[in-house]
Amino acid sequence: MTPGKKRLSYSYYPGCSLHASGREYDISTRALFKALNVGLKEVPDWFCCGATPAHNVDELLSLSLCAKNLSLAEEVEGDLAVACAACFSRLKTTQHHLKEDDSKRKQVEVAIDGPAALNKPVKHIMEILAREYGLAKLEESVKKPLLGLKVAPYYGCLLTRPPEVPELDDCEDPSIMEDLLRALGAEPVKWSHRMECCGANFTLSRPGVVLKLSNAILESARIAGADCIMVACPLCHGNLDIRQKEIKEAYGAPDSTLFGNIFGSELHGGSAPDQRDLPIFYVTQLAALAMGVASESLGFESVITDPKPLLRDKQLL
Amino acid sequence: MKNKLMHLSNETMNIGFVKKVEALSGSSVRRCFQCGKCSAGCPMSTFMEHPPNRVVRLLQLGQGQRILAGRSIWYCASCETCTTRCPNKVDLAAIMDALRKLSWDADGPSKESYVQLANRLFIENIRTYGRQYELRLGAAFNMKSGQFLKDLMLGPKLISKGKLKMFHSKNKNIAEIEGIFKRIEEMRKKGEAL
Repeated sequence: MTPGKKRLSYSYYPGCSLHASGREYDISTRALFKALNVGLKEVPDWFCCGATPAHNVDELLSLSLCAKNLSLAEEVEGDLAVACAACFSRLKTTQHHLKEDDSKRKQVEVAIDGPAALNKPVKHIMEILAREYGLAKLEESVKKPLLGLKVAPYYGCLLTRPPEVPELDDCEDPSIMEDLLRALGAEPVKWSHRMECCGANFTLSRPGVVLKLSNAILESARIAGADCIMVACPLCHGNLDIRQKEIKEAYGAPDSTLFGNIFGSELHGGSAPDQRDLPIFYVTQLAALAMGVASESLGFESVITDPKPLLRDKQLL
Repeated sequence: MKNKLMHLSNETMNIGFVKKVEALSGSSVRRCFQCGKCSAGCPMSTFMEHPPNRVVRLLQLGQGQRILAGRSIWYCASCETCTTRCPNKVDLAAIMDALRKLSWDADGPSKESYVQLANRLFIENIRTYGRQYELRLGAAFNMKSGQFLKDLMLGPKLISKGKLKMFHSKNKNIAEIEGIFKRIEEMRKKGEAL
């Protein structure tokens, strides 16, 4: 497709989180696509993709739920745009497995009582922004570059793994988030935890696990000098944003052990541990902000760790 | 169990179980040569009594019950790091899924009922509403796990921020979802699916 000649247009699978705890991801995705003049039409009557719990205990159920959603998506024109990393991973995994395994495809077709739609391209919105809309055009469209904003791009687990499924980027050394940030005028920091797991859906059953893993991620971003973290997954956002206060309470006290005193003080330049709030942004919030979309329509009021002081500080509000 | 000597014989090695895991996961366990890369990258291995490479080793030795008796499979976050990095293409994430399904079906040896409970409620929500209803998920989990006060302060905050919906409407095509659940149950009854 030649950009500029035909208007890009997509069908859209928001997923459950984007209608609830990740509502600002949905709001900002719609605002961004509108600002870029890219079409986005929600798949009618879509239902839950099963996320991690479904495939954890019943792979056939998980594949069938996704296959049914894919066939619902066939009713809407355009490649399928997905924002949630978990939905994206499940839908792509289903297509991949059913293409490879005929007997599984037949079982799924019995379960959904119809043919499995395997050929509709499923694309993550970052893929659409960086590759189809294009980085150069994106850079041209920027009205308010995010100058001086140091961002830790956080990939998490499901955007790139396992290697043969998402086809989004390199599974060990991706760069799509960094590329997008540079196009928006922001500065991506180099940091150690950009692909580490945040504890994902243990947030309900084992919050202690989430606090430990997410603390390591926040700590790493602070050490790298980031002002904020950028995510593309509502679960990562939930763990890092909603539980940030709890994480501080659990891990905030200065480490008084011998090793903590020696290594801890060195790490923090001799002062107490760095306890800055780190606002967590969705990729679409930062992109829309750079496109000059009013901050009121980006769902910032739904966020727990208030990003406004940082944005005001950087003169982006 | 940890210090008990492992005697390997036709009686103590349950190879049938291993074959089931291989069929369900579509991955061979024999390919593993114990390099340990999976466990080295696993963010959850510190929470497990059998780290991922040992889970595969126990499978190679036909010791499925030892794995199911422990918590390892319920602490896997499905982050796919192991599968991504395996030099021998052992799909460990799929093997973990298969082990969880076998434990789920047997409903017996798992000690990690909280994780199982959360998964069960999540899937029940799909069957009842078509989509997740997070308020019900959290509330039902707290009620059923007996942790009435867990995240109590978080609830009102999330509701006021619009992140938790008080009410939920059912999907219009809820009958189709029920159909999927029913047909899968029937296929399993007839032995047409694992």
